[in-house]
Amino acid sequence: MSLWTHIPGAFSTLAATGVDAGVVDIEMGRPLFLLIPALPALAALLCGLYWALGVKSKFPAWTTVAALAGSFAVTLVAYFEIAAPGLTHVVHGFRWINIAFGAAGGERMLFVADFSLYIDSLTVLWMLFVTGLATLIALYASEYMSDDVGPGYCRFFFAFSLFVVAMACLVMGDNLLMLFLGWEGVGLCSYLLIGYFFKKPSAVNAAKKAFVMNRIGDLGLMIGIMLAFLHFGSLRYEEIFAQVAILQQDGGDLAWTIKAIPYLLLVGAIGKSAQLPLFTWLPDAMEGPTPVSALIHAATMVTAGVYLVARMYPIFLLTPESLTLVAWIGGLTALVAATIGMAQYDIKRIMAYSTVSQLGFMFLGLGVLTSVGAAFHVFTHAFFKAALFLCCGAVMHGFAGQLDLRKLSGVQFMKGWGIVGVAMFVGCINLAGLPFTAGFFSKDMILAEAFTTPGFTALGVIALLTAGITAYYTFRVYFRVFLGPQHFEPGDELHGHDEHDHDDSHGDDGEAKTHDDGHAHDFHPHPPGWAINTVLVVLAVGSILAALAYVFPRETGGWVKGLISTSSAAGAAHHDHEASFFGLGDPHKVMYYVSGVIALVGIAIAWWLHLAGRTTAATSRADAIKQKIGPVGRWAERKWYFDEIYDFLFRYPLLIFSHIFYLFDKLVIDGLVDLFGRSPRSVGAGVRPTQSGGLQNYAMGMAGGLAFIIVVAWLVVWRMSS
Amino acid sequence: MTLLMLILIPLLGAAVIAFSPERQAKWLCLAWSLIALGAAVYAAFTFNWMERTGAFQFSASWTWIESLGIELSLGADSVSMLLILLTALLAPICALASFTAVQERQKLYYSTMLVLFAAMTGVFAARDLIFFYLCFEFTLAPMYVLISQWGSSNRKAAATKFFLYTFTGSIIALAGLVYIAWKWTQIGDGWSFAISDLEIAASQMSMFEQGWVLLALMVGFAVKVPLFPVHTWLPLAHTEAPTAGSVILAGVLLKLGTYAIYRFVLPFTPLAIQEYAPLIAVLAIIGIIYTGLICWVQRDVKKLVAYSSVSHLGFCVLGLMALNTIGAAGSVMYMVNHGLSTGALFLCIGMMYERYHTRSLDEVGGLASRMPVWAFFMVFFTLASVGLPGLNGFVGEFMCLLGTFQSGAVDFPGGTTGPLGPWYAIAAASGMIIAAIYLLYMVGRIVFGPLREPSDHHAHPVLPTDLNLREIGILAPLAVLCLGLGVYPTPVLRSLEAPINRVGVIAGFHDIEAPGSDETAPAHTLVLVPEEAWP
Amino acid sequence: MDSLLTTSLTLAQDTRLEAFAGVTLYHYLFVSATMFSLGVIGFLSRRNLIIMFLCTEMMFQAAGIALIAFSRYWLNHTGEVFVIFVLTIAAAEAALALALVVYLFRRKSTLDADAWMELKG
Repeated sequence: MSLWTHIPGAFSTLAATGVDAGVVDIEMGRPLFLLIPALPALAALLCGLYWALGVKSKFPAWTTVAALAGSFAVTLVAYFEIAAPGLTHVVHGFRWINIAFGAAGGERMLFVADFSLYIDSLTVLWMLFVTGLATLIALYASEYMSDDVGPGYCRFFFAFSLFVVAMACLVMGDNLLMLFLGWEGVGLCSYLLIGYFFKKPSAVNAAKKAFVMNRIGDLGLMIGIMLAFLHFGSLRYEEIFAQVAILQQDGGDLAWTIKAIPYLLLVGAIGKSAQLPLFTWLPDAMEGPTPVSALIHAATMVTAGVYLVARMYPIFLLTPESLTLVAWIGGLTALVAATIGMAQYDIKRIMAYSTVSQLGFMFLGLGVLTSVGAAFHVFTHAFFKAALFLCCGAVMHGFAGQLDLRKLSGVQFMKGWGIVGVAMFVGCINLAGLPFTAGFFSKDMILAEAFTTPGFTALGVIALLTAGITAYYTFRVYFRVFLGPQHFEPGDELHGHDEHDHDDSHGDDGEAKTHDDGHAHDFHPHPPGWAINTVLVVLAVGSILAALAYVFPRETGGWVKGLISTSSAAGAAHHDHEASFFGLGDPHKVMYYVSGVIALVGIAIAWWLHLAGRTTAATSRADAIKQKIGPVGRWAERKWYFDEIYDFLFRYPLLIFSHIFYLFDKLVIDGLVDLFGRSPRSVGAGVRPTQSGGLQNYAMGMAGGLAFIIVVAWLVVWRMSS
Repeated sequence: MTLLMLILIPLLGAAVIAFSPERQAKWLCLAWSLIALGAAVYAAFTFNWMERTGAFQFSASWTWIESLGIELSLGADSVSMLLILLTALLAPICALASFTAVQERQKLYYSTMLVLFAAMTGVFAARDLIFFYLCFEFTLAPMYVLISQWGSSNRKAAATKFFLYTFTGSIIALAGLVYIAWKWTQIGDGWSFAISDLEIAASQMSMFEQGWVLLALMVGFAVKVPLFPVHTWLPLAHTEAPTAGSVILAGVLLKLGTYAIYRFVLPFTPLAIQEYAPLIAVLAIIGIIYTGLICWVQRDVKKLVAYSSVSHLGFCVLGLMALNTIGAAGSVMYMVNHGLSTGALFLCIGMMYERYHTRSLDEVGGLASRMPVWAFFMVFFTLASVGLPGLNGFVGEFMCLLGTFQSGAVDFPGGTTGPLGPWYAIAAASGMIIAAIYLLYMVGRIVFGPLREPSDHHAHPVLPTDLNLREIGILAPLAVLCLGLGVYPTPVLRSLEAPINRVGVIAGFHDIEAPGSDETAPAHTLVLVPEEAWP
Repeated sequence: MDSLLTTSLTLAQDTRLEAFAGVTLYHYLFVSATMFSLGVIGFLSRRNLIIMFLCTEMMFQAAGIALIAFSRYWLNHTGEVFVIFVLTIAAAEAALALALVVYLFRRKSTLDADAWMELKG
């Protein structure tokens, strides 16, 4: 009886267990915070309405920007009310999936997956940059997508708003199923937005690939969720954490099933965060419009895997081996993606691989127990990678879809491109980890932790190597595209839009070279307008200022650290920070120097190979080296043939099986059915010859039959009488 | 009386259409099916969804054949009521969907359709075995007529196969059902075909008897579902049937099988089902994966969706075989959800077919450029079918999987008794990936990509246009329901607890606690009751 | 069986017909059966349609003899009525059958029964 009214509001499990170690007090939050998902949902609804009404203005963009800004404002309220004081609130929305059942023990239980929000500092940290960046990028997209004003514009902002709703569900949900709702929801929006240019087969395929590969991860996540429910009898974080706390206190051997939960959750995280072996969808996802790449495929959605691990950190900590796996997956992904990134020519793809690589760093951070480092890297990365992508997008927008770094050069000094160049530079130094940038600090935390954690030194070396490669390929882009002699070739399309008719018919322009016969007319790059420039400035400044979060406020050891330490991700048993780094002192201090030097070396190599002495856009010293190393460069360019291997190992066999199954179904199973259906007919065919048509044969049959009956009758009579 | 009205209204409509002019037929059919829908909605409002004992409501019975104890006995619990509502909802939708597609012999078409709806309602409302079986079998005749008269090129063969295949199965099921009735004569006083009596009779059967009865019942009902090795009639029938026929087939007719499993197999053979549920579950899982993969290589989009029905219904059967509350509730949800989303997919495909006269993925594609509204609905219902959380498909699918997962895990706080276990759920869950593969493949070809249209469409002077208001009016209610059931399924789920508990007590789920007598809940309607007032 | 053969086989005799005094039912039945068998054998072995038709007539008459014999044995007229009825029908049937035979002969210029196998399955 009491269980009927048990949920929500009454937190009797916590009270009953009497455990308070490691579990924070949870209060009912204000319904105000439901606005964080509700405002973007309203915007999505309105954009759908605009689409239905055939609105042909920038109204959808302004609606979205306003709603997202509102969402951001409410998140700020949540920050000051909940996160800053280190509280945890639960806001009940409505009952999503509730049903009573009887557990094996005989008592009545309620399966509860409500639409409720779990707001703690981890949630707020994530939501701050999700809503903040989403607002900025929506503003950017209002200009970027302006060629599509009309149905496409509505569609874009519908999916954009819906993405923020889903992301809010993912991050703020108070149970694992709501996380799953958001998890698949962001996957859907990613699908819709990657496939935004739906007439391009490559975009459609990339969208499909992203969704299917994510579903593979989702399968693991779903099984993990079910297993968690089996173990804890609940999907709500507070109850899971309470029970995990009991398990931690009790110690002792755990059932293997409970140990499997983190691994299964990790499968989901790998899929969403594009880690080995499920990373190949993310580079292809660059088929989507660039704002989407910036928001979804760099800053927010792909960090959902990191969020999941951080959110469920207590369960991961129960089985430390799972964290070792997390670390190795992260480290290897970082290296592999970085090597591929070195060999690409498409600047957006380079950024995509760098995203994969940086996500690897975050996983490494989680694996070596510095959830603070991972979260901080998520935070800084969100800013500078968004800036980088938006700069690439601006270039792409201005140069008719040109993304090949061999065909662009010296953009920094072209008229109207100054802000883009500077923002790009800020993003690059962050990504490269130049000393005293935000990216430098956040990467340093992870590197230092990797080196000081016993058993992870190899990973530390890999990560250090990756950091060097990162600096190289980052500045390869910058030196090739933004510095050097001014030169460009326009792309053959306008950001993937095949209907756009581009006919600037200005006079002669000395720089514009049209090699392509399809572009008989002259081409003018059009530099970005106010919206794009504003956003880029804000993001560049934000990227720089993010470094401050490492230092201030001093009493908590940095803003992010202060936030994380009051959330569920804080459970990491921090090892001794007095540990010295190869006898050189505080590892972080040492790492400042080491990683700073590595970054500078990488940049120097990039300078020597790609800027020094370069006279044209197309060639550089690196090409000569690439000739020398032979096929390895080509292998890297083809991303180590991951796609081909997957096709060979999974896709083709499945396809062959499908064909075989279909044949089997048609021939064997349906054949058997038809055989059964034909059996009466074939029996008939068997006895048909007896019907000869000859009169005397029938007569013979009659006579024979009669004789038979007589004999039988006589025998019967005879037997009965005797 | 209410339920009898729900059966008689479409029948009366059919009679009226039969004696009316040809050109009024479709309007009359629409009007009568709307009346039937109105009556069903009225019934839903007077129905007590939160009845805590799972008792049957609107019960009524009339003597039919006294010497054999056969009665015309009706009654509904919330499981039946949900499916009756689904049936009543699909009636006007099917009528509207046929307005332009069916041009010849309209009187016969529309009256046949209404008769079919009456029979299907009868199946869900029956509380007497003979009346149930009568309706169950009688659905075949109108469906046979619909397929064989208004289907596409290979319609005769498809209709014959559909009829003979399902009829053969049902005859075997009848043998099993009659055996239970005979069992009643052994323990009771003369013949009775009341389902409640037979539930008692069934409990007297030995394990051996139950095993054979289970086999007989499953043969009949598995064909109807259809379960893996006996599914081949479905793709053929779906492909050849007219659009409305496909919608009825996917929307309601297939659910007759799962409903019958829920209503008869579980309570009639409680011992045997515990024993053989893993076997049936394995068949369901094979069906999920095997037919899912087959979907991937289909060139005919209607056949693809038809095969996907087989795959999806596998989840439904799996949920039932979990023999616990969550699995069974998920299965019932799945029945409703599949009816909505797959029915809508067939409607979308029918609308495309009306414009292009082809369903081949090789000939048409990229229709989002030509028909954005159609594309929106197509993508929407595909996503509902994929099982995206927030849309209806997910709720049923997740609960079927969770029910399977927790079934038999007696040592865990969240586990229940039951014959299955996590491995079944994990194997079935791989169907999630396969569903994503084939459905997105379908959408990627037919909705997205470069525009491809059949080369001979120039024969038509006008280019195909986007959906008109009538077609939007058909799809929009379904879309709203899909979204509604995906976002707020809790009231429906809570209303399912009590009837499933009732079946569970008989079927020996062991995961339920008989509802206490102190739980006296006031009468509630599903829609209007505030959460706070729920028991 | 025995009693039929030994005691009751004597036909119910009228004293005026002493010439048949020793003749029992058995004799008549024997003649009838022999005729019937001959008819059957003829029907089955001969190919000529007219002969086959005559054989059927012979079987009719065999049955008629048996009926008359039983009629005499039981001293009632049922059997005789039957026979007269059969004779009448047989006459009509003979006319019809012979007409059919003529018709068939016109179609194929033969009286061989094997020429007509159209009912072959």
